[in-house]
Amino acid sequence: MGNDNEILDNIANKEYEFGFVTDIEMDILPAGLDEDTIRYISEKKKEPAWLLEWRLKGFLSFRKQKRPEWQNFILPPIDFQKISYYAAPRNKKKYNSLDEVDPELLATFAKLGIPLNEQKALAGVAVDAVFDSISVATTYKEKLKELGIIFCSFGEAVQEHPALVKKYVGSVVPHSDNIFAALNAAVFSDGSFVYIPKGVRCPMELSTYFRINTENTGQFERTLIIADEGSYVSYLEGCTAPMRDENQLHAAVVELIALDNAEIKYSTVQNWYPGDKDGKGGIYNFVTKRGICKENAKISWTQVETGSAITWKYPSVILQGDNSTGEFYSVAVTRNKQIADTGTKMHHIGRNTRSRIISKGISAGQGQNSYRGLVQIGSKADEARNFTQCDSLLIGDQCGAHTFPYIESKNNTATVEHEATTSKIGEDQIFYLNQRGIDSEKAVALIINGYAREVLNQLPMEFAVEAQKLLSITLEGSVG
Amino acid sequence: MNALQEQTIPLYGKIVDKYHELSAKDKPQLARQSAFHKFQLLGFPTIRHEDWKYTNITRFLKDEYALETSVVAPPAQLLAKAAIPGLDCYQLILVNGIWDGKIAGSPLPKGIEIHRVKDVLNKPGFAEYFANENWGNLHFAALNAALYTDGLFIRVSANVAIDKPLHIVHLYTSDHNLLVQPRHAWIVDRNAELSIIETTQSMSGETKIWVNGLTEIFLNGDAKLDHVHLQTASGGTRLVQQTAVHQKKQSLYNNYTFTLPGADLVRNDLQARLEEDHTETHLYGLYLTAGDQLVDNHTLVDHQRPHCFSNEHYKGVLLGQSTGVFNGKVYVHRAAQKTNAFQQNNNLVISKKATIDSKPELEIFADDVKCSHGSTVGQFSEDALFYLRARGIGEAAAKALLINAFAFDVTDKLKHAAVAEFINQQISHHIPVNHAG
Amino acid sequence: MLIIRNLHAEVEDKKILKGINLTVNAGEVHAIMGPNGSGKSSLASVLAGRENYQVTEGEVIFEDKNLLDMAPEVRAREGVFLAFQYPIEIPGVSNINFLKTAISEIRAYKGQPPLDAKEFLRLSREKQKLVEFDAQLVNRSLNEGFSGGEKKRNEIFQLAMLEPSLSILDETDSGLDIDALRIVSQGVNKLRSEKNAFIIITHYQRLLEYIVPDFVHVLYNGRIVRSGTKELALELEEKGYDWLKEEAREKETAI
Repeated sequence: MGNDNEILDNIANKEYEFGFVTDIEMDILPAGLDEDTIRYISEKKKEPAWLLEWRLKGFLSFRKQKRPEWQNFILPPIDFQKISYYAAPRNKKKYNSLDEVDPELLATFAKLGIPLNEQKALAGVAVDAVFDSISVATTYKEKLKELGIIFCSFGEAVQEHPALVKKYVGSVVPHSDNIFAALNAAVFSDGSFVYIPKGVRCPMELSTYFRINTENTGQFERTLIIADEGSYVSYLEGCTAPMRDENQLHAAVVELIALDNAEIKYSTVQNWYPGDKDGKGGIYNFVTKRGICKENAKISWTQVETGSAITWKYPSVILQGDNSTGEFYSVAVTRNKQIADTGTKMHHIGRNTRSRIISKGISAGQGQNSYRGLVQIGSKADEARNFTQCDSLLIGDQCGAHTFPYIESKNNTATVEHEATTSKIGEDQIFYLNQRGIDSEKAVALIINGYAREVLNQLPMEFAVEAQKLLSITLEGSVG
Repeated sequence: MNALQEQTIPLYGKIVDKYHELSAKDKPQLARQSAFHKFQLLGFPTIRHEDWKYTNITRFLKDEYALETSVVAPPAQLLAKAAIPGLDCYQLILVNGIWDGKIAGSPLPKGIEIHRVKDVLNKPGFAEYFANENWGNLHFAALNAALYTDGLFIRVSANVAIDKPLHIVHLYTSDHNLLVQPRHAWIVDRNAELSIIETTQSMSGETKIWVNGLTEIFLNGDAKLDHVHLQTASGGTRLVQQTAVHQKKQSLYNNYTFTLPGADLVRNDLQARLEEDHTETHLYGLYLTAGDQLVDNHTLVDHQRPHCFSNEHYKGVLLGQSTGVFNGKVYVHRAAQKTNAFQQNNNLVISKKATIDSKPELEIFADDVKCSHGSTVGQFSEDALFYLRARGIGEAAAKALLINAFAFDVTDKLKHAAVAEFINQQISHHIPVNHAG
Repeated sequence: MLIIRNLHAEVEDKKILKGINLTVNAGEVHAIMGPNGSGKSSLASVLAGRENYQVTEGEVIFEDKNLLDMAPEVRAREGVFLAFQYPIEIPGVSNINFLKTAISEIRAYKGQPPLDAKEFLRLSREKQKLVEFDAQLVNRSLNEGFSGGEKKRNEIFQLAMLEPSLSILDETDSGLDIDALRIVSQGVNKLRSEKNAFIIITHYQRLLEYIVPDFVHVLYNGRIVRSGTKELALELEEKGYDWLKEEAREKETAI
């Protein structure tokens, strides 16, 4: 294994594969943020008055909020006035078929490997693509419509299903939740909306791809998923961004509502541009994701996080209903100068609530990876149970792995178990594989994938393969 | 800096006055100055400070406390309970942090010196042990370092193994509310060995006593220290104890901290600084909390150098409406390759109204390490309970047995049988055989 | 001594016992055999009072008292002993302390004075010898780090110490090598008397070569489908359980 350094260098220098800029005419709002910006966005989107009002409340909260200080990294200054809060492809009419879509755009999606084509569509993936801020095309809408499933852009939902939006928007993540959620409430551009009617099992995976394209535009999408009583949906979210020297801000909000006996499975593969090897550029990914479970409901978050300069997100579940279940499965990879501060919060409120947390951090280069989790058992959460396993893997001696679990229990019938380990890839493991004829690079990929298996297994099939490939590419050649 | 605290906390102004009074007498050492400034900067901790998130001391700061400690005769009631039956030891008694100079047991062997801090504080060869300015964010350590006047200085010379343990008895008693701030420095020189058993007791009553202790321990190369602390203070007592341990090459430090029902507040900050290679550290803790006690154990194992081993195991049994807090941090610096660090915290929540907040933390900057932590909160194992009942043991007795068994992981590690016996009895005494569950 | 009438029990809404009838008199040894999952161990658990089993029908009379009304510890004090199939490990509870507590609680229940330390020690030594139980193990934590065989021997040692009138051995032979089996069996044989009774639950006939039963019952699908003398065990050894399953099925369809 004399080539350790070479291989380590290799991975540190690995270029971002998805960095390219699409040349499409855009409608861009000049940089800057004040009430007028918000009114402009709201007007552009022909929103009802109540939504504008809600946005303005969000803006008020945003101005009152302080930047968070508790995270395990130094939050670089962000000049909110230097960001453009609205960018839409000028040619933004809805398409009846893919043939009508701007070929440049399709080419971009093809480069990204987005399943926005017949082939993937045949594989049963309905896609709502958010290109910068506007949802450009939605496939399989008709088929879903037959079942009463609503899957559309957030903007469309505001126009066509205002009652549902009004009832649920901000019900899980209030506009005052944190500074980034407040910002999102004020300026959110678009996003996805899903409603699954009572008792309906959504027959296909619903999928959205996000992509930040334009210079100096932040992306502030907002996703709202409502699974009515006894329904089921699996939702996939993939994210990429082109290479830019400037840092770009991404402050999304995702709200999940699982009513009685409903189940929502939310999977993310996040591969935003992480910046170059010196930490220049890259996305600031500050996302607020939270779900609420009513009786007997289940929400399961799965995430594979390999991109962004800074990732700051804690997909959480409020286990309000009795017998409800929350799950969080995560693989987070940091390399170069990437920072990930991620984890989950499980709030056990109802009786007999269950939660399971599996977090696998992988740090390479000078990457810093923190798990931050809260398991909170309320005084009424009799017989609540949590199991948490969070493991960290270090590759190279310049990176860091950190674990900050918070366990708070006010109930003596609850059981909480937390385990964490930190280790490096075993030389003896690599040697064993070498001895069986597998080179070190493949050995590491094998070991990493084995290490992350428990999480990858939670992803829907086609996504799992993608994620596995992504992990192997991201950590190509790293030998501890 | 802390205008608000100056106005709202009566103690704050007294602290400022006291510092100026001390400074007027002698020009304060640099360390004292910087500690005072640090305290002014930090103020008293509030729940907004991450390290005090679960430990709200506002209600204890409402009381007024005098800062003057006079020498008092130890009350007979406390003295009677001070000795550990069957333990062959050298016994020293400190009343309100002041040692009367007497040592029970045979005369001290060669190679150990014990002084009042007051007597050696400014002497060459001693002053260096009171020069630490690095109290990080320990509010109360800074306060102590700014205002301490006395305590116990112990030094064991190189290559000396002290034959019997030192039993240091801390008694606190006062007829008026009092803040006591003893500061100790204990040094075990190269290849020397010492065993220290501390017991802390106080009179219960209307008066409030706040003990803000600071102990700094220096272990030179190959030194060994076995350090037991049994905290059984009574209601009305607030104990804040900071212990910083500096470990040099191949030294061994064992700490056993037992906190039992009584004191209103116990906050322990135990920091093991592994400053050289190949050290070994064991931290064991047991907190059995009852009433409306608030017991908070913060530990830090700071792996600065390679090839060090640390193992930590804290167990909590929570009764009544008490709150237990455990915050254990393992920090592994970049240079500390080949570190082995383990940490475990288990909690048995017996009472419906008790609360436990557990926060085990790992911060790792070196890759060739083996680190793990675990934390559990739960109840008795149903299977174990059934097994015992199937042998004819009643439910309450079975639960008491299981609590003792739970504590056994910690008490079992004690080196002196008499100490283990003594502590086990104290634990049994507090286990509610009749209303367990 | 023990009368079981039409005992039905379920666990998590699953019916496990579907009408057991069995009478055990003092001085008798009953073997209960049957294929896996037939309800053998469940019967033992119900008799000992494991809480996740719900008795839905029937009764169990032990020495003229209603056993099912009693808490597990009361059953033990009355003289029902279960040798567990999987004895639990309880770190921190020493074997000897545990036994001392159990004996004194049982004696107190019977209105007997507690054994003094010396007497207890004598008794313990005597019983250790009887079941060839290693003195080292007596002082360790309850079953902690014991091998499978050591755990089973500990169960028999406890049986000897507590002197119950009815002992239920739940698959005590499973996981035992031939030597351990011999020692455990000899222990039981020494403890057999006119005054006590044993129910031996086992899958194999092997144990019954050492502990010769007075009666053999075959449990299948929650019912006793056949009873006989020790010859029945031999027959089962030879022919397996299939013919009995077949027969039971035929009977059911006939009904």
